[in-house]
Amino acid sequence: MAVPRARLLSLMKAQCEIFSTTYNPDGIRMGNKILRQRLRGPSLAKYYPPKGPSLNELLKDFKHLELEGVNEEFEDWQEHIAGFVSTRATMGF
Amino acid sequence: MATTISRSSILQPLRQTLTRPVARQPRSAFIASASRSKASIAKPNQTTPASVPSDEALTVPFPMRHEVHPEEPAIRLPRSVQSLYLQPLRREANYGVPTCDLQLRSYSVPNLEFFCDFALRAAYYLNLPAFGPVPLPKIKERWTVPKSHFIFKKSQENFERITRRRLIQIRDGHAESVQIWLAFLQKHAYYGIGMKANVWEYSKLGVGKEMEGQGQAMQEVIEDKMKLLGRDKTEGTVQKVQELLESERFRIQG
Amino acid sequence: MSMFRSKKMDIGSFLNIHVIRDHTKRKVYAQFEPERQALRHIIRNTTLPARTRAEAQLQLTQMHCYTRPTQIRGRCLMGGKGRGIFRDFKLSRYNFRMQALEGNLPGVRKASW
Repeated sequence: MAVPRARLLSLMKAQCEIFSTTYNPDGIRMGNKILRQRLRGPSLAKYYPPKGPSLNELLKDFKHLELEGVNEEFEDWQEHIAGFVSTRATMGF
Repeated sequence: MATTISRSSILQPLRQTLTRPVARQPRSAFIASASRSKASIAKPNQTTPASVPSDEALTVPFPMRHEVHPEEPAIRLPRSVQSLYLQPLRREANYGVPTCDLQLRSYSVPNLEFFCDFALRAAYYLNLPAFGPVPLPKIKERWTVPKSHFIFKKSQENFERITRRRLIQIRDGHAESVQIWLAFLQKHAYYGIGMKANVWEYSKLGVGKEMEGQGQAMQEVIEDKMKLLGRDKTEGTVQKVQELLESERFRIQG
Repeated sequence: MSMFRSKKMDIGSFLNIHVIRDHTKRKVYAQFEPERQALRHIIRNTTLPARTRAEAQLQLTQMHCYTRPTQIRGRCLMGGKGRGIFRDFKLSRYNFRMQALEGNLPGVRKASW
């Protein structure tokens, strides 16, 4: 038994109202599939891991708990500069 | 547990206080009870009743005891400890309506088996009829990599990662106790195991009206949660469309 | 493009100009995605006037190339390589092999069957 088209359309309309979709019986292209797509940007932007805290920052954060450490690289650098300055001073620059 | 340390000396003072008649029985009794297997779920006759099992079923599996001190009456351990030696107990489902499917995934079998056992015991004490663990098909992922440079394509190496899965189904569970069970499992999550649960709830007719009433009150809570959920909203796009269509450049044309 | 690049480095993986560039492109794409999608919707919507749709097409083509998703490429987190990357691990085939043999990738082992 064939169902009249008008009846089917009214059914479709009711369905669209209930599920809040667009009623588009003629299949006109409205570009709605683009509105339905989720945004991929946030997940794509998370590809690379974020930068962690540096050693100096960690030392600073834990100071109030009376936990102390030595940043050897930083100390070496300081020593190197001190040595450099002193040699310059002895050479009379 | 004191297995070899002179048990008699430890238990001597306690013996008088124990009023319960102590079960002394051959080992075969234990074996019979221990053979209560996972398969028993299929046969409703064999399933243990929802009550705590009888004294005889839960004798300590220490064959040593009888050999070392045959004259001493055996003293049973606390029931909670005894039951750890046996298969997990199960509640019986009256209706068999599935309410929760918990899938456990891991790369290592021992961890997985252990945690399944834990989940089943937790379900028993929460009065939830649990079924399983059903082993689901393994997920095998394989990668083949050239061992060195591009030109030496002939020598390659294979790697694989096998994900093993187990399914535990809760039937006839009350929605709230299922939530408690899941939260408990999450709290005591074991390393190297992923969990995924599908939960079904059944309610009376007229839920829609009830929910509408709650809707407004819940709105704030839901919005807070929705921010954390994976689905990125597309409202951004819709707003942008409106913005663009109203912008100067488009309106001059229109 | 340096105008999009963040002033302070905000990634902790292997660094290399290609990695920095790719990271910048990803961030720019995320920022401009709603706009791109809106223009794409306008272009595809046949109910809108043709002029509007043409205008949208123009605007979409005039957007900076860094806002395009096709510019984004998976890169190795340990070596910055751009080819032969396993998506599951974000590693190039060589680094994947090294890490797998060391046992740093959970569950991955040598296979034989």
